[in-house]
Amino acid sequence: VTVHDCSFDIYSVGTISGLRAELKVATETLIKARTSTVSVSSGCELFLRFITMTSLEGQNDFEDLRRKLIKRGDMYLQKVADSRQKIAHIANPFIRDGTTILTHSRSRVVYCLLKEAMSSGKRIKVFVTASTIDNSGEEMHQLLQDAKVPSKVILDSAVGFIMEEVDLVIVGAEGVAESGGIINKIGTYQMAVMAKALNKPFYVVAESFKFVRMYPLNQGDLPNDEKYTSVNSSEDSHPYIDYSPPQYITLLFSDIGVLTPSAVSDELIKLYL
Amino acid sequence: MRTIRNRLCTAGMASGMAVAEKGRSDLGKEVEEKLHEFITYLKQKNPHSSYDVAKRTVLLLREVCSKTRWYSARDLITNIRAAGKKLIAAQPSESAVGNMVRRVLKIVREEHASCVAGSVDEVDVRALLQGRDDSDDLSRQTPHLKGSVIEIINDLLGELELSASNISSQAPDHIHSSEVLMTTGYSKTVEAFLKAAARKRKIEVIVAESAPFYRGQELAKNLAVAGVETIVVTDSAVFAIMSRVNKVIIGTHTVMADGSLKAINGSYALCLAAKRHSVPVLVCAALFKLSPQYPCSYDHDTFNKIVSPHDILRFSEGQLVSKVHVQNPVFDHVPPDLITLFVSNIGGNAPSYVYRLISELYHPDDQEL
Repeated sequence: VTVHDCSFDIYSVGTISGLRAELKVATETLIKARTSTVSVSSGCELFLRFITMTSLEGQNDFEDLRRKLIKRGDMYLQKVADSRQKIAHIANPFIRDGTTILTHSRSRVVYCLLKEAMSSGKRIKVFVTASTIDNSGEEMHQLLQDAKVPSKVILDSAVGFIMEEVDLVIVGAEGVAESGGIINKIGTYQMAVMAKALNKPFYVVAESFKFVRMYPLNQGDLPNDEKYTSVNSSEDSHPYIDYSPPQYITLLFSDIGVLTPSAVSDELIKLYL
Repeated sequence: MRTIRNRLCTAGMASGMAVAEKGRSDLGKEVEEKLHEFITYLKQKNPHSSYDVAKRTVLLLREVCSKTRWYSARDLITNIRAAGKKLIAAQPSESAVGNMVRRVLKIVREEHASCVAGSVDEVDVRALLQGRDDSDDLSRQTPHLKGSVIEIINDLLGELELSASNISSQAPDHIHSSEVLMTTGYSKTVEAFLKAAARKRKIEVIVAESAPFYRGQELAKNLAVAGVETIVVTDSAVFAIMSRVNKVIIGTHTVMADGSLKAINGSYALCLAAKRHSVPVLVCAALFKLSPQYPCSYDHDTFNKIVSPHDILRFSEGQLVSKVHVQNPVFDHVPPDLITLFVSNIGGNAPSYVYRLISELYHPDDQEL
């Protein structure tokens, strides 16, 4: 969401194509700056499309268009901010009373969902992987403790060990690919495979702006500049993200509703056309 | 008259709840009577044929459209929702009711959209992005809405009546000669399907008797009378005999939104055995059985119907009865990856395509009535 706050400085340009050029430059700078680049690039791409669509509505006066864009942009920002709550509301019924949940690393959407489940009176227990590449699992654990959700940090390598004790797995996503698979923090793929092996439902929660036009066939298809952190981008360093194919995913919860992995490509087409 | 009309319009726009409370008076005496009659029918313990339930629901909703007082699409939708809520509450496990209510609501929305804009209403993210708010749209008054809605509902009734024959006409496409088919329980759709296949191909049918109701035996008798070579086996023999089977054909009570089934008890075991032996599983189900709901906790308690254990352990065996806990569930949940193809009245579809059928038949705003 902070992405769009930045990209909202509409520079003093006189034409629409000038505006687009400026926004493209802004997008590229943003992608270079942050580590979680997949959601940034998909969000920016959608925003650019949004601009194109607005400009197609035939405005003669550029000032008029500018005002309309700003208004639409604010509306879009508002919808994006609300989407987390909407997703939590949609996904809440799938968490039953007394379930044990496994999640991976830190995701704001998953946190929102777990908080909602807790506040609707359900008793839940959460296991979070430490996600040792940047210890974001510890951060998630802290957030959950503050929200009074019973949680425990486990080693990344303990996922197989703990899988028999959990009832379902919920993860966020950095990007949702066209195949219906997800791109998420490293370690998600093995969690998905384990969940499938032990017949546990694997749920993904992601906002609609994370739907990206990518169709990876394997881990090697993920672009290198998104795989490795900008700090040490040599091929010897550890990858930051991985790809979980759609056959391991049970359902995707997004602000456009509950989707099966096969429904994702349809929704993507609707978003981008 | 005018004041009543104004009150209805403002109430409709302000909050659906208020009009729902007024719903009783809005539906009119005649429709209310029919509604109560249907609710009594639903509450009876006898198992109902989902086709009968679906047909009666559509007929009742047609009455609601034609005989109640409404001035805009929003009023009509509120009336239908009020009636629908009562029907669903009468028998929550009967999903055909909810399906038909949502079908009719989608019909109303579509007809309204085409009357107003001349284009079919489409829910997509772009509409959300552009902040297109169509809650006002629905309150607009359209003069031809009633006629076109009734016409499309009549089409829906026609579709319901023809669904069984549409499915069975596809039988020769899926069944080859000298095939051994397997089924369980008694589904009228499957019976018609197998009879149609037998008319054109030489087939052999193995029927699992489906304890404790033994409806499989009924199906076997009907098939034998029609001249189809039939074998009845016990449910425990299903895995053993699966290696000789070419195709499994089952019916279902409901198809859920992710492509999974709420089918008769025994179907899950049959599908697992079929998967193990790489035998294709065909599910014959008409579109009125397709539900836009996912199997999750909001209907966890109503997903399965647990009936009297008398069929499993008679009460006369008193000594044992007090020491054991006997459960007699009616339904099974079959996950979508065990199913090869859904044969419905519009053709064959993969389980992964079910999301598309749902987006065409139902509107997301009608998920929660």
